[in-house]
Amino acid sequence: MKTELLRARSGRQRRRAATRGASGTPAGQRARQWIAGIAGQVVAFAALALAACTGLPGQPDPAARPIRPADVKDVNVLYAGNCAGCHGAEGKLGAARPLADGLYWHVVRDADVRDVVTRGIEGTEMPAFAMSEGGALTDTQIDLLVTGLRARWQGTPLANRGLPAWSVGSAPAGDLGATQRGAAVFAARCALCHGATGEGGLAPGSLVDPSYLALVSDQALRSAVIFGRTDLGMPDYRGGRGETPLTNGEISDVVAWLGSHRVASPRWPATPQRANPAREEKP
Amino acid sequence: MREQTLTSGPDTTRRQFLTRLGVLLNVLGATLIGIPILGYLAAPLRRRAEQAWIPLGSVAGFPAGETRLAQYENPFRVPWDGVTAKIPCWVRHVEGGTFQVFAINCAHLGCPVRWFQESRLFLCPCHGGVYYEDGSRASGPPPRGLFEYEVEVRGEAIWVRGGRLPTLSADV
Amino acid sequence: MASNDDDTHVPGGATGTPGRLGRLGAWLDARLRFSEQIWPELAHHVPRSSASFWYVFGSATLLCFVLQLVTGICLSLVYSPSAAEAWASLEWLTYREPTGWFLRALHYWGSNFMVALMTIHVVQVFFFGAYKYPRELTWVVGCFLFLLTLAMAFTGQVMRFDQDAYWGLGIGAAIAGRFPFVGAIVVDLMLGGPIIAAETLSRFFTLHVFVVPALLLALVALHLWLVLKVGINEWPMPGRLVTRERYLEEYHQLVAEDGEPFVPDGVQKDLVFSGLVMVALVTCAAVLGPSGPNGEPDPTLINTLPRPDFWFLPLFAAFALLPAYMETALMLAAPPVLFLLAVALPFYSGTGEKSWKVRPGAWILVVTVFVTLGTLAWLGIRSPWSPQMDAWSATPTPVEMVRGRTPLQLQGALIVQSRQCRNCHALGGAGGQRGPALDDVATRLTRDQLIRQVIQGDGDMPAYGKNLLPAEVDALVAFLVTLHPANEPPARDAATLGPGVAGAAR
Repeated sequence: MKTELLRARSGRQRRRAATRGASGTPAGQRARQWIAGIAGQVVAFAALALAACTGLPGQPDPAARPIRPADVKDVNVLYAGNCAGCHGAEGKLGAARPLADGLYWHVVRDADVRDVVTRGIEGTEMPAFAMSEGGALTDTQIDLLVTGLRARWQGTPLANRGLPAWSVGSAPAGDLGATQRGAAVFAARCALCHGATGEGGLAPGSLVDPSYLALVSDQALRSAVIFGRTDLGMPDYRGGRGETPLTNGEISDVVAWLGSHRVASPRWPATPQRANPAREEKP
Repeated sequence: MREQTLTSGPDTTRRQFLTRLGVLLNVLGATLIGIPILGYLAAPLRRRAEQAWIPLGSVAGFPAGETRLAQYENPFRVPWDGVTAKIPCWVRHVEGGTFQVFAINCAHLGCPVRWFQESRLFLCPCHGGVYYEDGSRASGPPPRGLFEYEVEVRGEAIWVRGGRLPTLSADV
Repeated sequence: MASNDDDTHVPGGATGTPGRLGRLGAWLDARLRFSEQIWPELAHHVPRSSASFWYVFGSATLLCFVLQLVTGICLSLVYSPSAAEAWASLEWLTYREPTGWFLRALHYWGSNFMVALMTIHVVQVFFFGAYKYPRELTWVVGCFLFLLTLAMAFTGQVMRFDQDAYWGLGIGAAIAGRFPFVGAIVVDLMLGGPIIAAETLSRFFTLHVFVVPALLLALVALHLWLVLKVGINEWPMPGRLVTRERYLEEYHQLVAEDGEPFVPDGVQKDLVFSGLVMVALVTCAAVLGPSGPNGEPDPTLINTLPRPDFWFLPLFAAFALLPAYMETALMLAAPPVLFLLAVALPFYSGTGEKSWKVRPGAWILVVTVFVTLGTLAWLGIRSPWSPQMDAWSATPTPVEMVRGRTPLQLQGALIVQSRQCRNCHALGGAGGQRGPALDDVATRLTRDQLIRQVIQGDGDMPAYGKNLLPAEVDALVAFLVTLHPANEPPARDAATLGPGVAGAAR
């Protein structure tokens, strides 16, 4: 213990001795620590100097800098942020109608889509997206979306002749005659999948459910008949293989027939004893 | 100082007097300087009573039954406020020309609440506070409903009284 | 310090004929009285057992502080502390100014290193009982240094004048506004006015570059002075108890028998570790880069997700989890009470065992604190209580929940999206975490319970009764009852048991 103390008090000479080769002793270890310390600092400063060079992984990329939401111009980013939730990540198999649908883009005009995105569609779940309507998109962004999505999904051109009439506004209300003709059209063209009464067959679920009909406008029904849901197996107005396309009149008639099943005010679902409680059990 | 400690004797009282005078003068000086400094530091408190009527724009910009984001310029802005001079708020046009104007700040910890017109709710991105369209608390941690501005419709314009960050101890 | 190595003969007195350099040294020494006044302090003997790698964290924290001063001064050459220009000057620093980004990265990571090393230092001091008699004041000063360092971290976050900074100030003001009686006054003093604006940034700039660093420098000096005067804590041995009567005597004996000079021997490991810290800091800065700034601090850009920097995430998380009735009390009272308890530690635990080996209470406390803070920080990163504001429009319904659905169910799936249910409820692992995931909601709630939940809500869910038409509720619930795993049947109506018990009938 005494010798240790003495050695500690003559640190400098001890260190000199250590560097001359007295490794293994505590003094030799300290000498190495000093050298390691100095070397570490040299490396640190060298790295600092190196950092002056560009191209290090930590250097922020100007392209990734934050931009204002209103300045987003990439159509894919706009679609993913605003549309994909309902219309599906790839424009199909979403809860709402598919947009990856060539026929849809052939039938609708840019002005119609712009109007739909701007104001939403009354009587459906499609909300208004324009800032002027309380939404989050600028008019420029909506224009970019309309042209961008058309370019992405329109596909090869179709012959324009014979396309059924389609507009954003409500479809004309059908008369009694239309309803009767619609029943016949339904029996001939729809009943195979949707059942004779429209309450379900190969395709699950009722088309004449009062709640469903309360939530979809005639125009939305008309869109459903014209464009189908090809992503879910329902053909468009042209029907399956070997079938003739539905005519404009037939589409109006079948919509009128479906619409005739609406009830004035659907009950609150909490009301007990529903007509068909087993319906929800279907997967 | 050294000389003073070397000398001693008859002028002790004179030195005592000088010490006292010195201390007194320093206290006096420090007070004279300190009071305006304290007043300067507390200046924000003297400004706080100020609230001003601010126009939010035409009634026509706010359709009945809807809630829209509006913004105004902090009435006490200085030129170097930059973008922070802009203050957003939510304007709800209740049917029949009556308006509610809510502060953007959540009553919980002041984060910006966002209006969702489809579900008719305000949601806060910080800790999940939710409010109904009339500003009342729906769920989450906020201890109260949204802060509400005093509103007046003057002619065709909506005016609110504001200019203060609302907190639980001082509403807008 | 390394360069001082060759000068160590100066204190010993020059031998032989002095060279020109030696004469300059003697001239300076005659005036500075280095060898007479300062060197004996530096070379005072410390316990040999304290020359350990466990004792390096304090000096490493000090190194970080010095580096922060250097990089901070550099940044202030370009940064404009004006609300109108701060963000633009940060953008300039980050993208235009040569190596500006690197200085910002060094300053950012330096602050992280400083808080982290300081935390390790505190834990080491606590475990080694170094706060006990006679080092109480060193501990107390250290507590205030801890507080001031956190103050630097918070005010530094404000210097990065972006959306997080703006709304972070809003959160600070909202907390201040909860003080009873004086809340409004505190808010006004904090913000420098009634609203977050130019004067707010100026105030925080002043705090960040003048007031708090000056206090830090003063307290660091005091802390070091105490370390020099009271002596470095010896390596604690179980059974070697601290008593007020005998400790000083024992310590002096220990240092006399088994001591070594603080400089140069005691600081060797500090020197090595400091070098390593700098290398690590430079590496972090070079590889990970600076933080932000994110969006412009424009309050009208409300689609922002305000989040604090890492060290304040536990606090952010606690604010979400505190029950409402005790929230204000805990927010305002808990931090000062905990701080005072920490400050007072050497006064209620000032003697006795020092070694962590025989202080299970110390282990329990440290583990509890760090598990709590770690959990809160982890929760803060995930923020499950925050609605995911764009989930409704950006997160698609899982495809398997769309296929094979009836028209009404599909309409319900649409309502789940379009009415923002997804902002709080996940489907297929995506969406908000505020409420429970809905993937198997049908196994938990019967149809009637779903209807009631949607219409009435509960404490954590708003009531949708006024916002949904009857047909919409019908469609929504028709979709929700389809959400159950194929091998697990949906919850059944236990009509005879009544709705209160039905939930148990899975």
